[in-house]
Amino acid sequence: MEEQRLAEIHQAFSQNHNLPNKILNLALSLITSPFSSYSTLSSLLDTLTICLQNPASDHTNHHRVLSLVSSLSHHHPHFRHQIITIVRAFIYLPSTPSSSLHYALSVLLSANTKLNFPPGSTETTDPLADESLFLSLCFGQSVAARCILLRNVSKFCVRPSVLLPVLLGFTRDPYPKIREVALDGLVELSNCIMVEDQSLIESCYFRAVELLLDCDDPVRRSAVRTVSEWGRLLVAFNQDQSKKECSDAVFIQLCSMVRDMDMKIRVVAFDALGKIRMVSEDILLQTLSKRTLPKIKEDRYYGQFTAKLPKISGAAFAFVHGLEDEFHEVRRSACHSLCMLTAFSTEFARQAVNIVMDMLNDDSVVVRLQALETVRYMAISDHLMVEETILHRFLGTLLDRNDSIRSAARNTLQSMKLQNLAMFRLGLNSLMKNLEFYPQDEADLFFILFKLGRTHGKFVGSIIRDVFHELEPSFDGKLGFDNARTVALLVLGISASVSFERQICTVPPQIFSYAVTELGRISRALSDVVNQNSLLAYLSHCSRFTVVSASEFFKGEEPALQLEQSDFLLCQKSNESSEAYLTSPLLDYLANLHDRVTSCVKIVLRKISDIWRLIELGCMGEVIQTLRNWKEEFSKLTNYSPQTVGILAFTSKYIHVIKLLGKVWSHILPSGNLRYHGMGVLEVLLGKIDERLQEMWYRFTGLSREEELHLLEIMLLSCVLRISYLETCNFDASLKKICTIISRVENLCKEGAIELSNFVIDLQKLLSDIGNSSYGVFENVHLLRKSLKCFSPRQIVLSGEIKHLEAELNVHDNDFQNPLPFVSGLPVGIPFEITLYNLTPEKRLWLTMSVDGNSTQFVFLDLHEFGGCDEIMKFTFVAPFYGTPRVKYFSLKVRIAMECLSEGVRLFNYCEGPKRELIFLCKENEVHLSTPIK
Amino acid sequence: MAIECLVLGAGQEVGKSCVVVTINDKKIMFDCGMHMGYSDNRRYPDFSLISKSGDFNNSLTCIVVTHFHLDHIGALPYFTEVCGYNGPIYMTYPTKALAPLMLEDNRKVVDRRGEEEQFSSEQILECMKKVTAVDLKQTVQVDKDLQIRAYYAGHVLGAAMFYARVGDAAIVYTGDYNMTPDRHLGAAQIDRLQLDLVITESTYATTYRDSKYAREREFLKTVHKCVAGGGKVLIPTFALGRAQELCMLLDDYWEQMNLKVPIYFSAGLTLQANMYYKMLINWTSQKVKHTYATRNAFDFKHVCSFDRSLINAPGPCVLFATPGMISGGFSLEVFKQWAPYESNLITLPGYCVAGTIGHKLMSAKTPVRINIDKDTQIDVRCQIHQLSFSPHTDAKGILDLVKFLSPKNVILVHGEKPKIAKLKEKVQSELGIQCFDPANNETVSIPFTTHYEKVGASDALLRSTLSPNLKFLRKCSEQGSDFSDLDARTKPGLQVFDDRMAEGILMVQRNQKTKALHQDELMAMLGVESHEIKFANCCPVDIANSDTRNAFLSQPTVDKSFWLHLLFEKLSSKFPETSIQDCGEHLQIESFYVSVCTKEMCPHRTASLQCMPETVYFCCTWTIADEKLAWEIISVIKNLLLKEE
Repeated sequence: MEEQRLAEIHQAFSQNHNLPNKILNLALSLITSPFSSYSTLSSLLDTLTICLQNPASDHTNHHRVLSLVSSLSHHHPHFRHQIITIVRAFIYLPSTPSSSLHYALSVLLSANTKLNFPPGSTETTDPLADESLFLSLCFGQSVAARCILLRNVSKFCVRPSVLLPVLLGFTRDPYPKIREVALDGLVELSNCIMVEDQSLIESCYFRAVELLLDCDDPVRRSAVRTVSEWGRLLVAFNQDQSKKECSDAVFIQLCSMVRDMDMKIRVVAFDALGKIRMVSEDILLQTLSKRTLPKIKEDRYYGQFTAKLPKISGAAFAFVHGLEDEFHEVRRSACHSLCMLTAFSTEFARQAVNIVMDMLNDDSVVVRLQALETVRYMAISDHLMVEETILHRFLGTLLDRNDSIRSAARNTLQSMKLQNLAMFRLGLNSLMKNLEFYPQDEADLFFILFKLGRTHGKFVGSIIRDVFHELEPSFDGKLGFDNARTVALLVLGISASVSFERQICTVPPQIFSYAVTELGRISRALSDVVNQNSLLAYLSHCSRFTVVSASEFFKGEEPALQLEQSDFLLCQKSNESSEAYLTSPLLDYLANLHDRVTSCVKIVLRKISDIWRLIELGCMGEVIQTLRNWKEEFSKLTNYSPQTVGILAFTSKYIHVIKLLGKVWSHILPSGNLRYHGMGVLEVLLGKIDERLQEMWYRFTGLSREEELHLLEIMLLSCVLRISYLETCNFDASLKKICTIISRVENLCKEGAIELSNFVIDLQKLLSDIGNSSYGVFENVHLLRKSLKCFSPRQIVLSGEIKHLEAELNVHDNDFQNPLPFVSGLPVGIPFEITLYNLTPEKRLWLTMSVDGNSTQFVFLDLHEFGGCDEIMKFTFVAPFYGTPRVKYFSLKVRIAMECLSEGVRLFNYCEGPKRELIFLCKENEVHLSTPIK
Repeated sequence: MAIECLVLGAGQEVGKSCVVVTINDKKIMFDCGMHMGYSDNRRYPDFSLISKSGDFNNSLTCIVVTHFHLDHIGALPYFTEVCGYNGPIYMTYPTKALAPLMLEDNRKVVDRRGEEEQFSSEQILECMKKVTAVDLKQTVQVDKDLQIRAYYAGHVLGAAMFYARVGDAAIVYTGDYNMTPDRHLGAAQIDRLQLDLVITESTYATTYRDSKYAREREFLKTVHKCVAGGGKVLIPTFALGRAQELCMLLDDYWEQMNLKVPIYFSAGLTLQANMYYKMLINWTSQKVKHTYATRNAFDFKHVCSFDRSLINAPGPCVLFATPGMISGGFSLEVFKQWAPYESNLITLPGYCVAGTIGHKLMSAKTPVRINIDKDTQIDVRCQIHQLSFSPHTDAKGILDLVKFLSPKNVILVHGEKPKIAKLKEKVQSELGIQCFDPANNETVSIPFTTHYEKVGASDALLRSTLSPNLKFLRKCSEQGSDFSDLDARTKPGLQVFDDRMAEGILMVQRNQKTKALHQDELMAMLGVESHEIKFANCCPVDIANSDTRNAFLSQPTVDKSFWLHLLFEKLSSKFPETSIQDCGEHLQIESFYVSVCTKEMCPHRTASLQCMPETVYFCCTWTIADEKLAWEIISVIKNLLLKEE
């Protein structure tokens, strides 16, 4: 059967130049059939090849044959190499008509992307690596081929220095499609390369500006994107004042496109506006007003940044137009970029809030959500002046028909700072109405009430006083607590005592006891903040004291820790007043303080993955806030429990790393980063991360495999960040480093039978891709950047045995006023009091001493000499310092450092100093020395 | 050739829009409106200006009507049925559907006033039969040369802007349009076209309107306050357009605020109009289209129809009544009843024609006494709220549209004279576009100097256009150049050109088709040969007194390549940057050739010296491009044997 068909096909191909449909179908059936044998297919491929090479066949035939070849490559991947060779040969064939080229190219591209070149393959096997082919086809006659090439620019290995002029040139093409893909290529390119030639950046930018007036809609759309991206490069290239002017010019240029008649262009234009990182306030204000503002002179010169100078009047009313737009896509986008831009100017935010409030009544849910988000963002970034009129309009959203809007509205309300009691009352009433109309919101609403109460503690007291009669049991002795409103008020009441404001709170204690009766309901709502037991303990405590104000001694902001800690503080207080009956349950937990700390840490570590999600979303403000709170909490806990020091130290270091990573993230996020930092900031951040990671790796013992793995993964992350954003030029060396870490990760995983994380798997794949293929550097960088998305922090559970290697260094009775005596030019002995924690004698410790930071003297500390291998080692050591300078007075900077024993690379080559990299175990100490005064 | 624009109506005024545009012998009449303020012959455009003889069928190519408002369509039945125009008429589907209603309504009003009837119901129907309905963005080939296309204009249901093109001359007539969407209609939408002329309305030529949200809020607040105080609200509107928008607004608000006060629609026309809206949902805004799947936005929840008996019923209510501007009819009747009470509210449309009661109220401050006619006076004590809702775009919108279209010329119509003049100023100064504001019956002639001709392109030219031909020009940055030199500052350092379009050569031959050729083809086409001017000089070098002579003269067979070689070395040191090719027999530098001349009598020899054994001749040729270089080389040759000291 199979042979029969094959024979038929052979015959048809040999006889007939014009292939009938029947034969094509026959061939296709052979290709798609899973039972076709290898020999059949290979013979079929040979036939097809001959047909392709036949100079007599025309482009319709080519099309048909190539489509067969394409499906063959799709269904039988093992033929791909062969197919690529054949198609490539076909492209190079001089007899190939230009009209067939684009078919061949598309087959080539699809086959090539699905193919991983085996190791050892040379560049010549990859047709896409051939720059001259790319260029000759680009400049050939086939427009379709040119279009395909330009659209897949990133798949070809063309040097950027060649590619950029080619793309720029094709923005002049008479075919709109080519202009469009050329512009798209420029956009893509702008993200991958560093252009050093200002005139080149300018010409790309100005060419795009010219194309903003193109007749073709898609070209204009791509031009807007290009103006945005290359404008960004142009701004980055300029310095100081001209940077600002340039950014303004780009902004106005983009503003001129928000009145385009094409909806998609408007969306793109607003998206681009939101990405701008620097705009003058008066221009921003102009976007809200139709008339030219008096402050702005029309003839003011906005730099030399456009072919046709943009006038500031072009920016007039831009945002209002966007928010009034007919299409919700445009309104949403405008609202979003407005949100981004409010960060630049308080005055702009103040004026914008009015119109954003109107958006809360929009028909589209997406727009309403975005508007709420904008308000919330403004509230968080402290750019929102809540006025009563505004509040009135805002509160309507609490009764929205859509539950996600209501939830967003509640969240926004919670982040607002309500300035007076009347406003707070207004907000509260609306929340109550919300509860009345939509009882299903109860849990979330209680939670918000609780938070709101905490931030507005001083108002809660007076509110509770006003409604107290509602909460009192009625005369017939029945407690009417089952209605939601009452419970809501109770929640509000109990929230005040944990408020941030440390005023005496005047919530009657009865409230707390009433709240106990609704414990289940309340604790369910507050489950994120506090567990039922702690809540009960807290409530029962508060209800017993008639005048106690819990807020007196409640500090801190993170609810989870705060409440748990507050319990603890409560019992302390009780101890003092020797009220045994109260403390008894709490005493237990004092005994279990160790568990408490670990449980806190556990909570924090569990939350890290949530935090990571926030980081990915670019909400750095919240993240930093939370992390900072945690850190504060930890600093308090440390005092009570020496045995948990290791865990806490580790966790706080870990939090610091996460924070740094967050900052890096906010720096590299494509959107949402508000201010422009230079590349230098990124470098500093990554440097810090590396330092921290080193420290975590070497200064802790007893890390479990999971934890080590996690550290390695973060190291990997930092490497990938470095390679893809900073050290593109030093690609291979950095890649090697990544490979080393990955092999360590693999080993660890193998030992512990732990699954590799997605991020590592992705990287492995990438590395083999990079190793085997011959993509250009920027292509690789692009791939690596993509892999960053896979990273998410591993869930780690700290074991109790983590020990922190630490040292303390002290010189008794030495300070600025009591210096040690020395004779200049002669060695001096300095008596150090050294305390070492958790250090075993095998560790190689060094005392580093330097006068002014540049000449360092190392003194080896032989721990065996001092004996003992306790957790705490304390001894005095007289260290000689040789290089006393010829001055009357100097100070020595002294530290204790440890050699990284497992670090294979030898970095230092002092004669008598440490051989490997050093990790410092203590803070820098200063020893003051002075020649004795006679 | 020129585009001629005869403004028959709405020139420096609002009312009876009618513009006749002549492009390449095609005459298109845009709109055929009547003036509502007049009842004599001034109400119609002066059609006699189109054709003295009254032969409109031959002088007009077609009529295009943008929308169904009477000031744009009111005179159409008169023109077709009374004046006898039989040619094609184009309007959009909704306009065709709604126009008869408007015309009929107006005819009744005129009838009621006891004025002379200009046309009958039958004539309206007859007129509508001649209309061809078009769809948005549908290109209609009116005849061989004339194309028209409708674009969405907002304003009212079915309103359109029209693009017309004859040959290469293209214009856009906007009719009335709105650049911001409202509750029920979208914003105007048009492509970026290559236009010679845009004729745009300019009702609000000097108005800059604030955000529509603020306007809506204000309106709702006023209405709510009135009904909350137990008052009655009268909203005089035209049947179609504002009525629907305001009604949607109120309906949503009622829903949101959970109000129970009744909203009434006065007569049948408005309800009937709602039916049309429901049918023509495709012409409404995105929002309406979007919600259509779940609910028709024109099915108002809180609206019921009105009964005359309810006029004096107790309790608050909101009433929509026709006509707007309170020029008569039902709205006047209700106005008389409600106006004397302070708790009531009357909202006026943004624009009232002079002479109507609405216009009087607009400028008055309550309480005021108003004369309705000779016998009736009314003390107006109610509140008056002027709506700033308008279906017309404001000045910013007009400028935005003109800027987007960037035509070569703009004509402003449909606006008050002083305002138009201000806008004209602005268009010219801000956008740099030539702008006109003709009065009625004036003609604007727009010179149209470009000569268009159909040209066949040769194959070679077409082939060359297929392959890109990129050129990059790097401009030296002129440092310290004059700051006011805008051009230098604005042009980027590197510019890119693709020359394939500029490479053709236009060849016009008598009695033959004009052709565009590739430059390489030109010679063959003209049947001429290419000639190149070459310069030549046979340059003598005297070797008699040189040392070289002493060295080499003893050997009589001194090879001529020796001299060439000597020259080559010399030239190489003199011109280190130019490439010199040694081709054995001759040297080549750019187009400069030099060889040793062995001829006895070389024609290029200038000096009439005899051929002497002590002289070596170098024969040089070059083209004019390298003249400067050539003379420099020749001077080197002349001094070939001189020692450099």
